[in-house]
Amino acid sequence: MLLVLSEEHKEHLAFLPEVDSAVVGEFGRIAVEFIRKGSNPKTYEGAARKLNVAVETVQHGVEGLMYLLAESSKLMISEVDFQDSVLVLGFSEELNKVLLQLYLDNRKEIRLILSELAPSLPHYHNLEWRLDVQLASRALRQQIKPMVSFQLQLDSNGTRSYHTLQTDPATLLHLIQELEQALAEVKTNHCRRILRNIK
Amino acid sequence: MELSEFVLKGLQYLADPAHFSCSAFSALAEASFRSLVHSGSAHAVLDGVDMQRMDQALVKHCHAAIATCILECVKQNADRATISTCLEDLKFDSERIDVFYSLYKQNKSDLENVLSSIGRCPPHITDASWRLEYQIKNSHLHKVSQPSYLITLNLENGGTRAAEDLNFSCTLEQLQDLLGKMKDAAKSLEKATHL
Repeated sequence: MLLVLSEEHKEHLAFLPEVDSAVVGEFGRIAVEFIRKGSNPKTYEGAARKLNVAVETVQHGVEGLMYLLAESSKLMISEVDFQDSVLVLGFSEELNKVLLQLYLDNRKEIRLILSELAPSLPHYHNLEWRLDVQLASRALRQQIKPMVSFQLQLDSNGTRSYHTLQTDPATLLHLIQELEQALAEVKTNHCRRILRNIK
Repeated sequence: MELSEFVLKGLQYLADPAHFSCSAFSALAEASFRSLVHSGSAHAVLDGVDMQRMDQALVKHCHAAIATCILECVKQNADRATISTCLEDLKFDSERIDVFYSLYKQNKSDLENVLSSIGRCPPHITDASWRLEYQIKNSHLHKVSQPSYLITLNLENGGTRAAEDLNFSCTLEQLQDLLGKMKDAAKSLEKATHL
């Protein structure tokens, strides 16, 4: 699948052949850093001064690179498709190679970052457990009641929530049985076939 | 066993043959035990007990007294000696004490269950449901191709309050981790019961 670049996008990237490949490499590094941590306008000013061009040009160049990398990673396009998409920009052989390498090196990490944007439910993080025996309460003395307490840690959009839960031994065994069945499901022929064929 | 003035007075009436005959006492005692064991039922407590000819306020006082006494005995896990001493001090004759004690023995474990369910505790897990799904793509990422689980834990909050549910998703590895930890808990539970 080819990546379709808009006219505006091509214009922004047109800045790249005008600088040498070391600078393109640097821009690439900045683009990935900005995808990771968000953009920092001061970097644009510093680079613009050094290269003696307008701040806006530098900004567009870096943002163009960011968009190129993000879209390519999102669609998971192959090497060949990436090269063909970039060919449209009319860059030199060397520049194309630099861009391809940048894409391949950072693709996995960018996909990881993008996956955090997707809608999701609270995500399991950890489970702590504790075995208790209740000996007495206000309503009844002299009890022996075994209980298992859990602290379930869930992550949701970066915030961690802690849930304190309790269960009795019989329910615990039932829960284990249910979840074992759930795990076993993934190994059945039906699931294996689907996992294998839908890629 | 400490009982309040109100309760002691009520019990004294119950001990007195001038107010309650032995059969009336037995009937009231039985009705009281039944009402405590089936505490959620809609039946009026003293339906079917023939006490129309007696002073209703007195009947109500005595019922409250004997119910409190029953609950105190169960709460403290009282033995026969304690109960006998307590009732003898209130001038109960041995026939009534026997009636009370045999009803007590009969209903004790049911009443213990009722009392042990009273109290605060963290949300109690009653069941778990799961769903296995295969994510193909989303608006931010295409070609995801990942199986994942959606787990729902059904919770109960003290029986009377509404049951809530806890939903969360996890990957295959995370479910294995969760299951491993639960199995550790179960194993140590088994070891503890063999000690």
